[in-house]
Amino acid sequence: METFSNFIGGTVALFSDPVGVLVFLGGVIGGMLFGAIPGVSMLTLAAILLPFTAHLSAEHGIMLFSVIYCTGVYGGAITAILFNIPGAPENAPTAFDGYPMTQNGRAGKAVGAAVMCSAIGGCLSAVVMMAATAPIAAWAISAFGPPEIFALVFFGLAVAASVGAKTFWKGWLSILAGLTIAVVGLDPVGGIARYDFNMPYLLAGIHFIPTILGFFAVSEIFIQAEKKARGVYRAPKMSVDFPTLAELVAHKIAIIRSIFIGFFCGILPGIGATLAAFMGYNEAVRWSRNRREFGRGKMEGVIASETANNAATGAAMIPLLALGLPGGALTAMMVGVFQMHDMEPGPLVFLNSADLVWVVFAAMFFANLSILLIGYLETRTIINLLRVPFQFLAPLILLLATVGAYAVRGLTVDIIAMFVAGVVGFFLRRSGYSVAGIVLGLILGKIGEQTFAQAMQMLHFEWSGFIGRPIALVLLIAGFITLFASIYRAFFKKSAGGAGPA
Amino acid sequence: MKLRNFTATVAAATAAVMLLSGAAAHAACATDDLPGAVNRPGGFPARALTMVVPYGPAGGSGQVAQAMAQAVTDLTGVAINRDHKPGGSGTVGMTAYMATPADGYSVLEHIDDASSAHALDSSRPNPAQDLIPLVTSQITFNQIYIRANETRYTDWDSFVAWVKAQNGKATIANVSKEGSMERVLMKFITDATGMKIQQISFDKGAPRYGSLAGGQVDALFEQPGDVRKFLDSGLFKPILTILKERPSAFAATPSLLDAGLDFEPLYRFRGFFVHKGVPAERVAWLQWAFQKAYCEDSYQDFNESKYMTLIESFRDTAGSRELIANTIGQYRAVYQQMGLDVK
Repeated sequence: METFSNFIGGTVALFSDPVGVLVFLGGVIGGMLFGAIPGVSMLTLAAILLPFTAHLSAEHGIMLFSVIYCTGVYGGAITAILFNIPGAPENAPTAFDGYPMTQNGRAGKAVGAAVMCSAIGGCLSAVVMMAATAPIAAWAISAFGPPEIFALVFFGLAVAASVGAKTFWKGWLSILAGLTIAVVGLDPVGGIARYDFNMPYLLAGIHFIPTILGFFAVSEIFIQAEKKARGVYRAPKMSVDFPTLAELVAHKIAIIRSIFIGFFCGILPGIGATLAAFMGYNEAVRWSRNRREFGRGKMEGVIASETANNAATGAAMIPLLALGLPGGALTAMMVGVFQMHDMEPGPLVFLNSADLVWVVFAAMFFANLSILLIGYLETRTIINLLRVPFQFLAPLILLLATVGAYAVRGLTVDIIAMFVAGVVGFFLRRSGYSVAGIVLGLILGKIGEQTFAQAMQMLHFEWSGFIGRPIALVLLIAGFITLFASIYRAFFKKSAGGAGPA
Repeated sequence: MKLRNFTATVAAATAAVMLLSGAAAHAACATDDLPGAVNRPGGFPARALTMVVPYGPAGGSGQVAQAMAQAVTDLTGVAINRDHKPGGSGTVGMTAYMATPADGYSVLEHIDDASSAHALDSSRPNPAQDLIPLVTSQITFNQIYIRANETRYTDWDSFVAWVKAQNGKATIANVSKEGSMERVLMKFITDATGMKIQQISFDKGAPRYGSLAGGQVDALFEQPGDVRKFLDSGLFKPILTILKERPSAFAATPSLLDAGLDFEPLYRFRGFFVHKGVPAERVAWLQWAFQKAYCEDSYQDFNESKYMTLIESFRDTAGSRELIANTIGQYRAVYQQMGLDVK
């Protein structure tokens, strides 16, 4: 009851302040736009705005960033669905099925599903955040250390091998390719240089954002260009049909599962929405009776991914506000906003600035809710981009992708990596390998390697140490069961489903 | 014994005493005597400067770059664009900077990692010789922290005793990359105390601090400014200050001498540099701008919020060169002693 009255208080404070309303609306629209435009992201907007927040009140500055976070995570889904260009890494799994839906003339359904599920995931995440920030944060950091996070990553990789590849072997080879790319650069624990070939820029490693842009956007342009050259290109059909309520209800299990996954990944410091989206998608594949339909335009793929990544937004605020631990780049910038106003996120915020916290909570809830309305209107307009002829759209997409690849770290090597990934992706996608698996191997590989090394240090290099950590043990066992089940399906039960979806 | 010999030989070369001498508040700031305005030489700068930052925007280096850029802009009206090039423990940013023209329009922010990298491999740029330091604007020390509600040990002495009883099973969160300041200092401490403690390497701050808060590790090695919020909120408490004397803000925490540890501390420092080949009059203007900006209220407030005023953080060009040269000599001697491949 106290939580509800605090929420009402925060809502009244938010909407009775004209400047606050303006900041809120600016954050909602800005987050969506910057999230939707490939090449820039909500992080770009946040970096631009960071110095200016000094001129806002602490309440407005922090609220602005939290609103940008919510709507920015959603915004990237639009281009992922329409053009196979994830606006941000957390939207990459959305493209797996969203883009095929566009090609099948169901773009409206896909975008509509993204709009509705982003709102559902985000709103419920915000509700849990309001209800239980402090105890959840304390539980998460005490229960989940490097061994548990490594076990989670192992489980994720075991599931990911069945995403998007035509055969068992091609699935695992795709994952292993991603894991191999992940080890380029300094090792995350000892700082030892690997595969740098005496080129200093390779010490920074291969970043997953240019790789995603290459595998998805650039290779797609090559594929469509080839079709154009052969005279078999078909422009995507326009459609503005939103999913019906019945269709959403039919996916209620996937939605609920992704909310849990998103929330869980969001509260782990340094993990966040990207892993949430991939895990949400992976679990949807794993529990589906029709695995082969994933990657070919199954709405459940969009629903799982978009619900999970927005569910991570409220959760990521929990360690930030309760403990001062940012979960990702945007929440780390929010620490900067706090500090500009002589504040530090952490337990004292709830004591010293309770009003501020509840305005932020209310703003996040309504930002997620506003995705429904603004997302609906935005979809009706932005979907018309599909009318632009390919010969004009393709160069624009390439330009935006190039800017996006460079904007991550300001390194030319990232542009090179993007085009190499584009060419490689062009050939791999024709031969049944999974570019999604490569990207997932790259993202999870970096987290997995680091947490594995930390886990082994913590466990004094004794494998048996995992047995003494029940959560890690359960996740490892689940990973092995998944692995053996996929081997069984691939070699002993080929007629019943093979190695997974194409 | 070797450690004692080593520390004795480098003690005179270090700036420890100088550092502590500036522990007074910044009411009188180091560059108050510099003029409030200086004519731009030949119209320089005629456009915005670019500051190459070898780390991301949200970390300690990103924050000091932003604070200094803002202070210089407030002072001079010249805009500064920050170009973050993270990766390779600062190597990528340094390489990118070295490829920029020596016209004064590009400045570099860097930390002591550049000095330790040169100490290990002399083919890497020497920040004191291959670049011109404009100002060193942050110098800080290290501490060891435990959870404030920890009951197994409550202070340095009980911590050492407890760690010894664990026979190598105790853990400390750290940035323990090969040759890092943290690893070197931990070697000094473990050699001097006879402790065996497993260092767990976290390269990002949040998981590192979370590991102590969540009880995943037994202690944390960090600089006080980075964990100030945990200190202010009473979650963490320091049990050892890695300085020879106690700073006033940590009067209740034992220093190295209090704990019977006889080695020269190493410091984390951050500063701003420009190419060696930049015309002298442009260098002089940049030196004035960055050194004067150090005393701008906004920058001093920032430093104070980061516990960067407990020891004197300011060094001008000559002072920065001395600090860097001493640091390189210190690291090189330690690396040789550790058996690392010093090139």
